[in-house]
Amino acid sequence: MSEFRNFENHSNGQFYFCWVIALRAEATPLIEAFNMKNVGNKSLFPIYTNEDTGHALVISGIGSVKSAAAATFLKDQLKIKDHSAWINFGIAGFFKGPIGDLYQAIKVVSKESGAAFFPGLRLTKLLPASILFTVSKPENEYKEKVLYDMEASGFCEMAPIFSCNELTYVIKIVSDTANNSSSLITKNLVRELIEKKLPKIQDILAEIKVLVEEEKKRLLIPNEVMEFEKSFKFTETNKYKFRETYRKWKIAFPTKNLELSEFLNFQPKEIILKLENEVLVNAKDWTVL
Amino acid sequence: MIETIFFEEQIAEHPTTERIRKALPRASWIPIERYQELFNKRHQNFKLQKKNPALILAKKHDNFVLPAPSGFGMAAYKNFYFSHMYNCLYDCKYCFLQGMYSSANFVLFVNYDDFFTSISKKIDEYKGKNLTFFSGYDCDSLAFDKLSGFADQALSFFSSVPDTELELRTKSIAINSLLQRRPLSNCVVAFSLSPAEIAKSLDSKAPSIGRRINAIKQLAAAGWKIGLRFDPLIYTSDWQKLYSSLFSEIMEGLDPSMIHSISYGPLRFPKKMYKKTAHLHPEHKLFAFPMEEANGVISYGTKIETQMHDFLKSELNNYISENKIFQCIT
Repeated sequence: MSEFRNFENHSNGQFYFCWVIALRAEATPLIEAFNMKNVGNKSLFPIYTNEDTGHALVISGIGSVKSAAAATFLKDQLKIKDHSAWINFGIAGFFKGPIGDLYQAIKVVSKESGAAFFPGLRLTKLLPASILFTVSKPENEYKEKVLYDMEASGFCEMAPIFSCNELTYVIKIVSDTANNSSSLITKNLVRELIEKKLPKIQDILAEIKVLVEEEKKRLLIPNEVMEFEKSFKFTETNKYKFRETYRKWKIAFPTKNLELSEFLNFQPKEIILKLENEVLVNAKDWTVL
Repeated sequence: MIETIFFEEQIAEHPTTERIRKALPRASWIPIERYQELFNKRHQNFKLQKKNPALILAKKHDNFVLPAPSGFGMAAYKNFYFSHMYNCLYDCKYCFLQGMYSSANFVLFVNYDDFFTSISKKIDEYKGKNLTFFSGYDCDSLAFDKLSGFADQALSFFSSVPDTELELRTKSIAINSLLQRRPLSNCVVAFSLSPAEIAKSLDSKAPSIGRRINAIKQLAAAGWKIGLRFDPLIYTSDWQKLYSSLFSEIMEGLDPSMIHSISYGPLRFPKKMYKKTAHLHPEHKLFAFPMEEANGVISYGTKIETQMHDFLKSELNNYISENKIFQCIT
């Protein structure tokens, strides 16, 4: 277990972007661009993070099963929150050139199982869309008008469970086509292709961040709610009722704070009742506007 | 603007698909097998998806016509509804669709003729009875019409069954397809309305109340029968004043004989839908009112509902005879 001890310091990290990337060569330009540091090189899958910029990255290795496993590992090890965006990024084959073009895969099909996934909110203004086939062996014929990779379907199977489908992205950079064989791909070429697209990637992240912020706000459990839940023994049912009543109470009284000192001798049910009564009294002058 | 279209391969060459393909040549067109593989997926986020919904073109296979839910219909012997589309261009905070569907994408069923065949069968089944068919339960009847061309085909069909009533329910001001043809005596164009201040706060992306009222007056002047739908009624301070001025604004210059019916109903949700919808908009005041629960339905409660009912009935009686006023209750 000692190899995982570094993760403990990151369990409260607020990661906006969780990258799941197959190869180190694909990951390196991003690790450098976002100044991520290694936090678990000896772990099952190497993990890199930068809490200041909100990036976490895991290198999965090749294959859809590994991609799903690495995403799950990252989620679990860093206790990634529900509002984070998940991005499967990497090189892909395409039926046409030029190499270096960036695409958002909006339909991902596992050629093995036939399962189809529809990840992400469409980033129409920034990226063209494409269908992507995840294959188990490298594709050399590029018969269909789609992207080809070896990971995305596994990633798409898991990542929406961690946040939601609209915060799950598959973004691919074209590295090989019928006229540019995959045998010509080198580490340097991968680096070059990705580095050229870093400004575009920054734009994409800015757009995704807006969505993440919105989800973060929606799912936020305020500190004073957490404090109350720590201080009183709420049953699961009462915890739900308390959160709901608090939500209404806070909208009714946005400038008020819930003070623990006012509830010292209260039972959980009495706290809920007190808040409900205050909301009810306030409802006489209710305005929805 | 629709930027992504998923289409079932079986309807790739359907005339409606072709029409939309011509109208949206720059959109990304992605083939799918069945719309459910996309529309019913788990872990979708309705609120985020609503920011850039895709259009799904599909073929409907069954359940073209269904009995209208209780409290939805007017005075017909039997009320039915049909949905050529799921979801709506608008983003109204109280809309039950966001609690009902996991996806905010629009599904358009392109096989309109199959709907009309099913409606014909119902008409035959209830021969001689007064039937009404409602469109706009799972969508807005007109909001998508420039692209779908549905209203035109529906009106052509209903012109052939003059004893059967059609209601198009809408918040849209896309009324050109109606104004360009002779009014149908068996078609009611029903507008959903709230006081302007409330609509401004709750009816995101929908035309303003002023523009809706303008559309009502244009249609009435052209001879179309009008339905006025105040459902849901929204409780807020000064609600009497707000609803009273709304009624007076609508009725000013409108020939009351052109009003087919007025209906109203309190804000209400099945419990599960309320929870889901409130979770999507936890910060909104609409979901912060201390609602009451009775028989699995979340509402303002009997006291407020009775006040609103009494007020509306008495106010509306100033403008129109009682037999044209209906209350919608679940």
